[in-house]
Amino acid sequence: MRSALAGLLLSVSAYAQLTPAQKQLNLDSFEKVWTTIRDKHWQKNPGGLDWQAIHAEFRPKVEKAESTAAARAVIREMLGRLHQTHFAIFPGNVYEDVGTESGGSGSPGIETRVLDGQAIVTAVDPGSPAEKAGVKPGWAVISVDGKDLAPVIQKVQSVPELRELTLERAVQAVLSGPERGKLSVVFLDGANRQQTLSLSLDPPRGQASHFGNLPTEYVWIESKKIGDTGYIRFNMFLDLVRVMGRFGDTAASCKTCDGLIIDLRGNPGGIGGMAMGMAGYLVDKPDQKLGTMYMRDNALKFVINPRAEVFRGPVAILVDGSSASTSEIFAGGLKDLGRARIFGTKTAAAALPSMIEKLPNGDGFQYAMANYISEGGQALEANGVTPDVEVKLTRPALLSGHDPVVDAALEWIHKQRSQK
Amino acid sequence: MTRRIVLLGIFSGIAGFTLAADDALPKAETIIDRFVEVTGGKAAYEKRKNEITTGTIEITAQGLKGTLTRYSAPPDKSYTAMAIDGVGNVEQGSNSGIAWEKNAMMGPRVLTGPEKAQARREAVFNGQVNWRQMFTKAETTGVETIDGEECYKVVFTPSDGKPETTYYQRKSGLAVKNVTVAANPMGEFPVEQTLSDYKNFDGVLMPTKMLQKVAGQEMLLTILTVKTNQEIPADRFDPPADIKTLLDKK
Repeated sequence: MRSALAGLLLSVSAYAQLTPAQKQLNLDSFEKVWTTIRDKHWQKNPGGLDWQAIHAEFRPKVEKAESTAAARAVIREMLGRLHQTHFAIFPGNVYEDVGTESGGSGSPGIETRVLDGQAIVTAVDPGSPAEKAGVKPGWAVISVDGKDLAPVIQKVQSVPELRELTLERAVQAVLSGPERGKLSVVFLDGANRQQTLSLSLDPPRGQASHFGNLPTEYVWIESKKIGDTGYIRFNMFLDLVRVMGRFGDTAASCKTCDGLIIDLRGNPGGIGGMAMGMAGYLVDKPDQKLGTMYMRDNALKFVINPRAEVFRGPVAILVDGSSASTSEIFAGGLKDLGRARIFGTKTAAAALPSMIEKLPNGDGFQYAMANYISEGGQALEANGVTPDVEVKLTRPALLSGHDPVVDAALEWIHKQRSQK
Repeated sequence: MTRRIVLLGIFSGIAGFTLAADDALPKAETIIDRFVEVTGGKAAYEKRKNEITTGTIEITAQGLKGTLTRYSAPPDKSYTAMAIDGVGNVEQGSNSGIAWEKNAMMGPRVLTGPEKAQARREAVFNGQVNWRQMFTKAETTGVETIDGEECYKVVFTPSDGKPETTYYQRKSGLAVKNVTVAANPMGEFPVEQTLSDYKNFDGVLMPTKMLQKVAGQEMLLTILTVKTNQEIPADRFDPPADIKTLLDKK
């Protein structure tokens, strides 16, 4: 009897029809996608297509779709006609993970990257609760407040259109919460033993930065010397006056350095103009540019204004899959100009204001609104920046206290010096 | 012609006017003269020996706000200082054939080409009266309705750079809109500016609301005070040290 009922339920489920309301939500979703591209795509004829004809072709197919999955497939087919990256639809359950806002600005002070399917601690903020609790780079994060990270990572990685940057954000969202709160985190330590630590949540590292309507972001910048090499890292291209000032001071104080390392790993971008401004401290030739951003009615050239004092030594820029937007514009442009050598892993290929919005039927819709062509002629949005020297972080290297990407950059800089 | 106070785009024209027959367009000079007349008259303009203007800036879509102060004096001296939240200080100046800009993002810059020509035009003191110093030609090219009011369309042609178009209300004689193409190293951008809320400052009517649309962005300039014939330090229009360094290098 029970199996007969189960069979009945399964068969009912298999043949379930969309309700009129659900059908309407799918149609509304189709219209939102089609209209967004019509109004916001950088080409008046998106992808060289007759976009009105596309509407006439695809809307009846969505009307006939008997499930949300079928409607999604039709919309994806429509987006596929563009033959352009970063136009994607992903199911609502993935959107929920991707769109997860952090539970607050509180942080235990851990930076992570997903390496070989595991969230690995890559840095521990000085003085943070994590440092005080003894957390080390190289430890793996297994679960947070009872939530296993592996399924979250697998789910996001199952959608190829979603970038590493999105994955890192999903992991970081789990590792945050209200300030003064606590998280129970299960780690795998250097000896592969599980350690459960209760970590307090401190205010995030850096200073609160306000830029118009953007939410408050916490921005930090650090600079130091590694031997005779200058090193600078900042987490976002924001807090313009402070970050530009510190960048300029670092370049100026590095006149006698044998090289300069600019670490943009994990830097998601920010104010695009700051890439031009920073490049002015590194490029002394006039009339150079990093690239051009093409919008529907305008083309913005990312020009470089050389400063009075310019650092002329070797420049190494470190990137990874979480280096996006302004980071890519900066790294890609300086690479194309032959002014910097790039180390690390391929960047996020998200140089544009690519948005992810929720559709009426609950699916996520990703679209780009402009096209950016780096000075070498390559579209960053499609391709990202490929390092000159590919170097991956590994858990064993982190556990042994090494950063192989920094090591590779230093080695190159030292070679430049010895070849002089 | 009204002032262009800051960033990009403005120009409106001026003076003494006799209404032409409905089917004939008045000459541009007539429309410009009428503008000067209805905003105070040539004598009122010529009483002004210098000007200090203060106001606010709002880039609405991005939620950015700031303040501005502008000094100007004959024949074409100007210095503008803006402080914009999140962006920092922006300074612009023009004097003795040099135009420059500096800000926290791009650093100091000496302007060249069409950008310099445009900055120098905007710096002409009492440009409403002295428009011939800025443009080689002004032509009335038609009538358009803006916000329900018929406006004469006057196209000003500079010797260097793109034409600028100003719309003058047929009824009031006031300039209500400017359209031009602004140039800077990043490219050329259409600029549309609407002018409103004219107020009297020392005998001259000036628009106190200027809404500029550039590359899909809107910026609202609101003029709060205009003081004329003030004591302005002699070095106010000198380029700052880092601009001088750049000039020395050239």
